[in-house]
Amino acid sequence: MSKTSSVRSSIVSRRRFLKLAGLGGGVVLIGACAAPPAPSPAPAGETAPAPAAQEGAGATAEPIVFWTPGGSAVYCQNFNAISKAFAEEYPGLTVADAQCGAGDQNFLEVLLARVAAGNPPDTTIIWDSPVSLAVRGALEPLDDLMRASRYSQAEAWPPGVLASCQWQGKTYGLPTAAGTYAVYYNEALFESKGISAKREDFPKTWDELRKLSKEFTVWDGDTLKSTGFLPTVVDNVELNIFSALNGGQVFDAANNKFTLDSEQNIEMMQFMLDWLNEEYKGDLNLVNSSANWNFYPDGNGRPPEFQNGTMAMQSSGFWVAGDMYGVEVKPEAQNWNVAQYPVGPSGSGTKSGYWPNWMVIPKGAKRREDAFKYMDYMSAIGILTWFEAIPDMPTNKNVDINKLLPKKVAEMRGEEFARDVLMFFYKQLDVATPMWTSPVQNFANDQITRMIEQVYTKQATPKDALAEAQKACQAELEKVMKA
Amino acid sequence: MAKMVLSKPGGSRSNKLRRNEAIAGFAFVLPWVISLLVFTAYPVLASFYYSFTQYSIVQEPKWVGLGNYTTMFTADPAFKVSVYNSAYYAFLSVPLGLLSSLGLALLLNMRVRFIGGYRTLFYLASLTPPVAGTIIFIIMFQPRGGLINGILGWFGIQGPAWFTDPNWSKPGLILLSLWGVGASSLIFLAGLKDIPAELLEAASIDGANVWQRFWRITIPLLTPVILYNLVTGVIASFQVFTSAMVIGGTTGRPQESLLMYFVHLYRNAFRYFNMGYASALAVVLFLAVLAITLLIFRSATRWVFYEGELKS
Repeated sequence: MSKTSSVRSSIVSRRRFLKLAGLGGGVVLIGACAAPPAPSPAPAGETAPAPAAQEGAGATAEPIVFWTPGGSAVYCQNFNAISKAFAEEYPGLTVADAQCGAGDQNFLEVLLARVAAGNPPDTTIIWDSPVSLAVRGALEPLDDLMRASRYSQAEAWPPGVLASCQWQGKTYGLPTAAGTYAVYYNEALFESKGISAKREDFPKTWDELRKLSKEFTVWDGDTLKSTGFLPTVVDNVELNIFSALNGGQVFDAANNKFTLDSEQNIEMMQFMLDWLNEEYKGDLNLVNSSANWNFYPDGNGRPPEFQNGTMAMQSSGFWVAGDMYGVEVKPEAQNWNVAQYPVGPSGSGTKSGYWPNWMVIPKGAKRREDAFKYMDYMSAIGILTWFEAIPDMPTNKNVDINKLLPKKVAEMRGEEFARDVLMFFYKQLDVATPMWTSPVQNFANDQITRMIEQVYTKQATPKDALAEAQKACQAELEKVMKA
Repeated sequence: MAKMVLSKPGGSRSNKLRRNEAIAGFAFVLPWVISLLVFTAYPVLASFYYSFTQYSIVQEPKWVGLGNYTTMFTADPAFKVSVYNSAYYAFLSVPLGLLSSLGLALLLNMRVRFIGGYRTLFYLASLTPPVAGTIIFIIMFQPRGGLINGILGWFGIQGPAWFTDPNWSKPGLILLSLWGVGASSLIFLAGLKDIPAELLEAASIDGANVWQRFWRITIPLLTPVILYNLVTGVIASFQVFTSAMVIGGTTGRPQESLLMYFVHLYRNAFRYFNMGYASALAVVLFLAVLAITLLIFRSATRWVFYEGELKS
């Protein structure tokens, strides 16, 4: 019996095997998480060059690692052309082919995991607010690099747009491109009603806009056949714009406080709701089920009504000027124009908003200085090539905007009109209201979306819905700040 | 006997062989075991730990004790909404899914021409990428011009607004879940094929009609398969994510009616960077599903029958 036991124990038992496997797994984990090896020391007798000398000579052989969250093949491959031109401008520096997206995984999840593991890209474009990431320690501050840069000093950016990268006196990103917002309108529809279609004659106040809108809105029973202007604030960007147009704001960055439930915001949402009730039967579902009141085909395959010529006015960003030709634009919709936003009852001047492509350096990036050179180059020079492929609005003041032309608009409406539209949207950068400045931006976006839905579906009054959103956002902010 | 064998001259050689075989066997499963420990067991245990911390991936986790759990049960209205939505979904979609897949399996078990083609066809549907399948359903459930409301219209029924109406969005999502019954139908079909034909024939000779044969023989002998599909169905239903996310986004439109538990968990982890809180949500989900699964297994002693088993 004892012999049997001794034989049994000499065979690898399942328990012992699991123990060994656990140990092996631990070793694998530790190995995976270990810091990358330090560079080999210089051979004896040779002196390693000083970092400055290395940088000046561009001695680092490793290319700069650059990521973008995703985008079309044209968007992604265009960065490789920019990188090639950058390498010619900065001898000794190269940029690896852009990594476009993170495959099946969430881009931010991958980026943050790489930051946590100490192995992030040197620079990346992000489509989430830099402030949210900076507050959590995921981004490098850039102020020293900006001061020493060729093109990216703080003064080179519109203040309202650079604000989206700033937190407690530090700057964590460059808003390299930002599509500004305005109101698109159908000139032919205006003229058919004997209304001046000149940009300077476009309504200057919300009351004027509301009055004008009624001229175009036609119902057939419960089906909306044509619209003037839909008073539906759809998301965080539009809420910021309409709030600013009424003299309010969504987040007070200076005092680190949400101001969603301000008098101006309550008045703004109430104004929109009254308008919806008066002109659109107070039923957003009826409006949306009637047709696709947008610039893009919707998920149900319905064509966009602006291009069908049944929508007189609608708010959107610069990119729509080219994108709208992705579908057939009927003859009655071909003459369109853009105008600035009218001002709300408590507002003092027109405002705009924007949706940027931010460039940042993740915390722990190994090539901080070189990466910033690439960002600097991208913001002032590379953006010209970027614009050729995807017309995203440059924001840096060193960009010669006259060199740019939105090709699709020029092709459809002529060069003069295309240049006029480009300059119009470019000037909106100067009246852009600060936005994307909250450290809990995504949480706030969801709360804002919920609030808007509650108001428009009459689940809560504007005052109550805004108060609830304010309470939730402020609580989340305090929780994050406490951490 | 063992002693005798071991004391034989060839015993040590036999032991060595057995040892070598064991080592080889363990070496073959080692990659899988290490992968299980590193990529499954470790994250599960880490999630338990992180559920007691405030953690944003990048910063060091900060111990907050039961703070996340207290927040969940006292200060997060979305938690209650998501629990309600997920429970509603689970309690309706699981029985409906079981009935549909069993019905489909019975049809696929019939001896008709092209039955192989039908089996492939129904299974193919479950292979459709979830996002694509969801988009197809969104189009089908369009209030105006959609296929479903069009068919209801032929019978003079005014179809609901489905995914834009908070009262109809969850039923719509449950109907969508039936899209994938092909997979569980195949499992039922395998169970049906395992039922001894002689039992059914004997019952038939004894005068049992179709319904009696189905209720007294087929169903009892299928109960192990029903148990399997029930358990996996319950687990999957509490984890519904893609379809709810594609239709309702991170806010669970319309009016949070599609804010499922997993969507709430996901948005806390990857949109709000509240990884600690998301881990706490995951732990609660794990415990809830575990409790339900144990309950099902406990009840199974009363209603699951195994062939050849004797019941007192």
